[in-house]
Amino acid sequence: MKAVVGRIFRRSDSEENKREIEEELRFHLELLTLEHLQPDVSLAEAKGAALKRFGNIELIKDQCLEISRKSHPLMPAVKFFLIVVFLVGVLVRVNGTDCDVIHIGDLLIAVPILCRLLLYVRGLNPSRFFSEHKTSTPLMLNETAQPSFTIYDHRKLTPVERLISEK
Amino acid sequence: MVNARTDLMQGTLELLILKTLSRDSMHGYGIAQRIHQAADDLLKIEDGSLYPALYRMEARGLITSDWGASENNRRAKFYKLTRAGRKQLDAECVNWERVSQAITRILQTA
Repeated sequence: MKAVVGRIFRRSDSEENKREIEEELRFHLELLTLEHLQPDVSLAEAKGAALKRFGNIELIKDQCLEISRKSHPLMPAVKFFLIVVFLVGVLVRVNGTDCDVIHIGDLLIAVPILCRLLLYVRGLNPSRFFSEHKTSTPLMLNETAQPSFTIYDHRKLTPVERLISEK
Repeated sequence: MVNARTDLMQGTLELLILKTLSRDSMHGYGIAQRIHQAADDLLKIEDGSLYPALYRMEARGLITSDWGASENNRRAKFYKLTRAGRKQLDAECVNWERVSQAITRILQTA
């Protein structure tokens, strides 16, 4: 329950959500770059190898954003509410005799359809239309952050120990 | 020439993630490292493909995430298994055993 409430508030800000996804992916890429960094390997080569192992970063970012947006904890409730309003609208429209009541029925039918359409359009991923991800900012490695941390290694070695062990 | 590395069957990635997280909470890079290490590089997994799977699993309530400090004191997002995730892992393991036994039997007899 606590986790669901937390998710409702965390996901309410899509910009914050996007920033968190970028930070998470950047963290992974930086560690991968350090993993590939060797005395005889340049930083550019290490970055290239990291990107190759990671896959299409912009596509992954867009996929995560889309999943995150669609999986908002309130979304099932919103969809259910729209269906209920639609059905009430149909009932009013069918059983209504007065002109005003029929108009209210029309309104109750039209509003959920429009809302559902808006939700669908908002959920569309631009990457489905463009081969290049023009709509999203390219996710770059944080150049300044690289020297400030040590590599995560399952053997729990520092970068220096790791280099020595590999010689 | 046959590629020695094997592409993952659909849905298997989630099982690997669930199993990896069954020990302790981990960030995405840690999960990827653990899988590569355990699979001895026999499985071809792009690290980035973990994230959509992680987000989907979180949406289904199989895992939860929290920001914390990594081993190198960086801010990182840690994932951990929920009770539903543990149940799913048990069910998936049983299912995997059944499928692999069936395939093995077919390969031996057919």
